Amino acid sequence: MRRRPGIGGLQTAAAARDQYRQLGENVAKIRTDLMKEQLTTFRTQLEDFARKHKNDIRKNPAFRSQFHNMCTKVGVDPLASNKGFWAELLGIGDFYYELGVQIVDICLATRPHNGGLINLQELCSLLRQRRKSDREAVSEDDCLRAISKLKVLGNGYEVISIGKRKLVRSVPTELNKDHNEILELAQAKGFVTVVEVERRLSWTTGRAIDAFDTLLDEGLAMIDDGHKDGVRRYWFPCVSSISTPVGADG
Amino acid sequence: MQKLGDFKLPQFFNYPPYFTLQPVRETGKKQIQLWNDLILDYCKTHSIFVIGLEDQDFPLFSNPAIERSLTHEAREAFLSTLVAQGRAEWLDKGRRKCLVLWHRIQDWANIVLDFVKDNGLKDSVMTVEEIRSGIESRGTELHGIDRTVLMRALKLLEQKGKLAIFKGTTADDEGVKFSI
Repeated sequence: MRRRPGIGGLQTAAAARDQYRQLGENVAKIRTDLMKEQLTTFRTQLEDFARKHKNDIRKNPAFRSQFHNMCTKVGVDPLASNKGFWAELLGIGDFYYELGVQIVDICLATRPHNGGLINLQELCSLLRQRRKSDREAVSEDDCLRAISKLKVLGNGYEVISIGKRKLVRSVPTELNKDHNEILELAQAKGFVTVVEVERRLSWTTGRAIDAFDTLLDEGLAMIDDGHKDGVRRYWFPCVSSISTPVGADG
Repeated sequence: MQKLGDFKLPQFFNYPPYFTLQPVRETGKKQIQLWNDLILDYCKTHSIFVIGLEDQDFPLFSNPAIERSLTHEAREAFLSTLVAQGRAEWLDKGRRKCLVLWHRIQDWANIVLDFVKDNGLKDSVMTVEEIRSGIESRGTELHGIDRTVLMRALKLLEQKGKLAIFKGTTADDEGVKFSI
């Protein structure tokens, strides 16, 4: 379209812009429609897939995890409600609900020992021991999903990362940065000393003792004065597993 | 799980901090509970009636695998709680020896009553020594029972009119007549 000077020219230009805009909107609409169609097709295919591989999804934790990832990408949440296609087809809602209940149970049972903080690995291990008779294996991924569902119910369950480990918190204790740093240090041997904290984190004695006192009061730490070197050690049940034997040089 | 002979030790026994008296109340309470359950369980399994606090032979007070030992203070604290709960008694003022009642005296009394019924001993006479080491006692919990504990149970039953205790021919051979 040739641009012509004068009002006529301006009108033509405006008309041209309108047309381009219209075209643009149409293209966008076509794209969206296409995508929606693809998504619907994808969802249908996902449902078919789920039907066909129901057993694998139930029995194989790695497969189950991949399946969940696919669902997330497509915008499907098999756990969104206990009713409906997914829950009925896979019975997955029940699986995670049951897991959630068992997790709460274990957290309550171990709370006197670890103060309400348990490391994810140990939680899964205890869960597996409990479910020994079940044919369905349980992975850490499963635990995390079950816990995220617990969160939705407002149970105060949360997963926090400390260093390389994940810990599951089942009490409303708020840990600040100082506490987290101590917990991270403790992961190496299951315990720390005041001197170690002072040296590695460059803290004053006062700061270290304050943090330890809070952790002790919250039931997250226990003191140990029994080593022959006479140095007090602070142990953290949540970072070690009570079922793992502790070395003699504690 | 670590074992002492055939006895399965609980997992807390391998966790060093449990060998130090915990200052925080809730933690300490739970610690005492765990230790007391262990002590009662162990004593019951091995028919131990008396614990000497400084006894090297009592294996629960230290765990060489983790190089930890309960201090005298801790031992006394745990046993004192048992005493307060009526599951133990101090045998001396210095609190060096403790009588462990893994069955309460009342429970022992009931066991004696069962013993009498099971062996048809109503109206019979038996020496105290026979009760705790005679043929009938074999296979029952009465076999090898601490004499002090047995006497306490018998005295309790005497108060209830279930039996009568009398002195025997020798100084240390008391007898019992059952009237149940």
